[in-house]
Amino acid sequence: MRRYVALARMQARVVLAYRVDYLNGLIGLVLQVFLLAVVWRTVYGHRDSVDGVPLATMLAYVTLASVQSWLFNPWVFTLIPERVREGRVGVDLVRPVGFVSQVVAAQVGRTAATAPFALAALPFGVLLSGMAAPASPAAAVGYVVSLAAGYAVTTLLSVVFGLITFWTMEIGGIFIIYRMVAQFLSGALIPLWFMPGPVRTVAQLLPFQAVTYTPTAIYLGRLGAGSAVLAIGVQCAWVLVLALLTRLVWSRALHRVVVQGG
Amino acid sequence: MVERIRRGLRVWAALARAGLRTELQYRANFVFGILGGLALQGAGLAVIGTILARFQTIGGWTLPELMLLYGMRLTSHGLWTLPCSNLMVIDTAVREAEFDRYLTRPVSPFVQLITRRLPVTTISDLAGGLAILGVALATTHLHWTPARLLLLVSALVGGALIELSGQTAIAGLAFRMLSTTSLKFTLDDVFNTFGNYPTKIFGPAARWALTVVLPLAFASYFPATVLLDRTGELWIPVWLACLAPAVGAALFVAAYRFWRGQLRHYASSGH
Repeated sequence: MRRYVALARMQARVVLAYRVDYLNGLIGLVLQVFLLAVVWRTVYGHRDSVDGVPLATMLAYVTLASVQSWLFNPWVFTLIPERVREGRVGVDLVRPVGFVSQVVAAQVGRTAATAPFALAALPFGVLLSGMAAPASPAAAVGYVVSLAAGYAVTTLLSVVFGLITFWTMEIGGIFIIYRMVAQFLSGALIPLWFMPGPVRTVAQLLPFQAVTYTPTAIYLGRLGAGSAVLAIGVQCAWVLVLALLTRLVWSRALHRVVVQGG
Repeated sequence: MVERIRRGLRVWAALARAGLRTELQYRANFVFGILGGLALQGAGLAVIGTILARFQTIGGWTLPELMLLYGMRLTSHGLWTLPCSNLMVIDTAVREAEFDRYLTRPVSPFVQLITRRLPVTTISDLAGGLAILGVALATTHLHWTPARLLLLVSALVGGALIELSGQTAIAGLAFRMLSTTSLKFTLDDVFNTFGNYPTKIFGPAARWALTVVLPLAFASYFPATVLLDRTGELWIPVWLACLAPAVGAALFVAAYRFWRGQLRHYASSGH
């Protein structure tokens, strides 16, 4: 365990060394929250509620989902692509800790160091869009559990896709496509309840909604107790499936290792 | 003058070919780079389309109208990024004293900077923008006159010049500030975030800020309201909205002069 903490701490330091970049990212996040809030207020017009969703709930959704999504979907697929491209993966492989575990520990470290930046964006979100208390004490508990499961899903997805680098070396374009699709289908921009039928079905069948939509909908009480438990069950199933997939892909990737400049 | 422009274009075309050859060395990556660019720009349109599937209009603007605005904005964006996005790397060029070279050669340092490497994948902005614009023009059923066509074409160039002016002015600051990354990305963020929606929805304060302080509204929104006969919602006179492309040209001249002026403050990082 100590080894993993050390790896996580190392990555956290990297984030703090580049804190100016993260502060810039915050400006983008705040602008996006403002934009979404304006758009929802505009389309609601004089109505207080659309399809049973009050405007206040929608505005709280914008704040929560945007900040969470910013924290959970960084602009990289974990460390894998850069380690492979620069040939440093050779060093990683001789360490007495599994490669995938190292990557996950590093990712957790990164997220932990980025979290204060996300928290700093929260007041702006509250001011520009809106915020609500958890729908009930049970919703608050469900939110915390669901948020943890959502983080596991996004991290595992990021590892699986990052491992593609072992085959392709470069991954820039693939990453952008992945990120845009993941952001959209996770409900970070539009909640699933406002998606047209077919799009919603696609979103429900894929793991991305487990990352942002599920925790936020539970927090706001949009998923009742029964559906919330079911949704958390779905999240856990995805964690299991993705963990198995990671093992499978990794066992193949290991045979494809090319250490550049090594 | 004509000879100089022709020579400039020849140099640019040679660099474009070289850039394309470089990119094609990594063919799969090149293709994914372009697809990635399309995904990045398409995502914004997907959001608008999804919202409209439930809400019909945003601030009274229908999907074809919003697509016209989106297509104009993205085309303008592509028109500045394809030839000039190297402006974004001026920090490196200044810090690593690359400018020493530019100052000794008989071509404008500005042209040398923007042609330092051709970012071929930004073609996706232009291609995506034109495709969206094409669909919008086919679905809006506008009554086209030569004057309107002229406004559309000049607005595309004018929009590119407005964004380019902002980036040029910031690039001018690089000679003294050395690090302008935050400013550049913030400006890019503001354009990409607010440029695709009718400026009027942002409320009075932001509306005026985007007209006077950071004249983003002149890029695509004002000309689009004229083309779509929506000038009733404007907070500036209609003739000014028609002159939006000229505003772009004037801003670029001012920004370029500022950049040239700041060049005097360039201090080589020493050898």
